[in-house]
Amino acid sequence: MAINKKIRQFFVPSLTPAFLIRAGCVAIFAYVLFGHLLTPFRIKGHSMEPGYQNGSFNFSWRLRYLLSTPRRGDVVVIRFAGQRVMLLKRVVALEGEKIEFREGKLFINGKELDEPYRQLPCNWDLPPRQVEANSVYVVGDNRSGPIQNHYFGQTSVARILGGPLW
Amino acid sequence: MVNPVGNFEKKVKSGEKGLARKSAPGQPPMMFSGIKVKYILIVLFLIALGIWGSLTLSQSKEKKVKKQFHLLSEALSREPGENIFTLDQKLKKIGSLFDETCDIHIPAQSLSGPLIRDEITGYAARARLHFAQLNIKFHDFVISFPAESEARVRLTGRLTGKTTYGEAVDEAHELECLLKKSEKKWVFSYIEVVEVLKK
Repeated sequence: MAINKKIRQFFVPSLTPAFLIRAGCVAIFAYVLFGHLLTPFRIKGHSMEPGYQNGSFNFSWRLRYLLSTPRRGDVVVIRFAGQRVMLLKRVVALEGEKIEFREGKLFINGKELDEPYRQLPCNWDLPPRQVEANSVYVVGDNRSGPIQNHYFGQTSVARILGGPLW
Repeated sequence: MVNPVGNFEKKVKSGEKGLARKSAPGQPPMMFSGIKVKYILIVLFLIALGIWGSLTLSQSKEKKVKKQFHLLSEALSREPGENIFTLDQKLKKIGSLFDETCDIHIPAQSLSGPLIRDEITGYAARARLHFAQLNIKFHDFVISFPAESEARVRLTGRLTGKTTYGEAVDEAHELECLLKKSEKKWVFSYIEVVEVLKK
């Protein structure tokens, strides 16, 4: 009987002031955590394969760049439109650096960049260009498609919301 | 000089007595506290009314601005098998939503500069031709009113559909728009597709 009562109390708790305060605290904590610090997102697209698969689930850790700036090789979450459309890309060049694609190979300041995360073939060609101040150059890991269809380029550091949790 | 008529002093004293009777024993008489509370309540009510009024007014302004985006999305969207009359009506509608000249900046299409209504209608007609089915939705509105007859809007435009070649399209872009009030109607005078990634 006592167990039954406990189970019933767990699933259908009585609305006591203490319970309401606890529920309120949990709701506020969840709102702050999942709304502003650890935002959940689902990956839609193949541009970060094989590291991040289409349809997989992750969290954006918003405090990742609170005390630091993005570095080369970091995977970042970029605010693309409004508060709901984000891009997941890899930082390949920092401000002031010169970036170029030659026969699928990525060159930073004229030196070829070692990219162990890129496993799919690429044949991109892009003339050299310099990354502007307060910006970073981001590209997806999967560059097997045509260059015209891929979202990449330089973006303002202010648009970087954080990084994926894993 | 005006002299009081009748037993004025007595009346005042009786009034004091009446009010003093209501206050707690040992406390000073609450002669004006009742009046003060009444005035405070009136002031609070007027403040609340003012806040409610300004909020309602700004919301109705926002609603009118949002409605223009809703009309634009309706006019730009295309259903499969759309007939020529619907097309004509929609194109006329698109024209009526814009100012005489509208600055349009779409970096991906290398389109930048002021366009007159006819040019906008022609451009929209050509753009719609690429799609067998087109659905445009606007959301995430951030609306501000820098001037009485100006509305600055930052929003997300989502474009879904199918091209005439059967390719599925699903794109989202951040837009910055400026609408001006002309003859009690909000019309688009500036549209920019924000270039987040610059190749």
